[in-house]
Amino acid sequence: MTTSTDSYRRDLVLALRMGNVPPDRIGEIVAEVESHVADTGESPVEAFGPPREYAAGFARPRRAGDVVSLLVLTGFGAACGWLLATGVVGTVRGETFLGFPAWTALVLGALLWIPPLLASVRRNASIRDPRTGGFLAPPPAAVVLTMSGFLALLTLGLWVGTVLAG
Amino acid sequence: MHDDVWPTEWLRATLPLCVLAVVADEETYGYAIAQRLQAAGFGAVKGGTLYPVLNRLEQDGLVTSSWREGAGGPGRKFFTVTPRGTASLAERAAAWHTFTERAAGLLPTVRSSR
Repeated sequence: MTTSTDSYRRDLVLALRMGNVPPDRIGEIVAEVESHVADTGESPVEAFGPPREYAAGFARPRRAGDVVSLLVLTGFGAACGWLLATGVVGTVRGETFLGFPAWTALVLGALLWIPPLLASVRRNASIRDPRTGGFLAPPPAAVVLTMSGFLALLTLGLWVGTVLAG
Repeated sequence: MHDDVWPTEWLRATLPLCVLAVVADEETYGYAIAQRLQAAGFGAVKGGTLYPVLNRLEQDGLVTSSWREGAGGPGRKFFTVTPRGTASLAERAAAWHTFTERAAGLLPTVRSSR
């Protein structure tokens, strides 16, 4: 598979997900593109146009339930960020968090990261290639690694920033 | 005008019926359908136009699809007409002929370029 097909796949999956297209439909649409260009020898853009434009034809309106769960997950993420910042600053400066040692805010923040992490793992894992049954989106291990790594880097950055700021 | 370049709105109107006709002829896959259409004088139909039409036909229950392992590639999606698709094709083809005859009756006569 060429790099252009790889990046087209990534962009198309992302655009379809943004368009609220169900996971099984995403798998079908991506497999159709890849199977077709394998036959014609065209590039995906030549045959199907830019990923975002092609995906727009499949977009569906979000239901109220989807919007609520998106808001809740975003809330978890925001609370997680706030707790991490509070925990890091408190630990560096030796302050307490609601009467507890400041590191408890760090632990709480990390725990709040779990629901968005699980949601992301589940969503990605359900996007499968109908030809092979394989993952079309990043597999669970990659999602866990990326999202945990992001959290670790964020904490480290906050720590360095707080120490430097004195 | 080049023989195989038709106004987009004509293609948009006729493509679903013609794609259904190609699938009804024999079970087939996307690229082969595009080739059949081109050979029939439709011009080059891009994947980005063809698959949404096929998806729509499937959604309407006129065709079904299944992935089969290809000779060299990882697989092709084959489309098969359903009994409802066959019935719809007969009905819509008859209506189409009536419609085009009426339209032709209104148009000035010219010698066909083909």
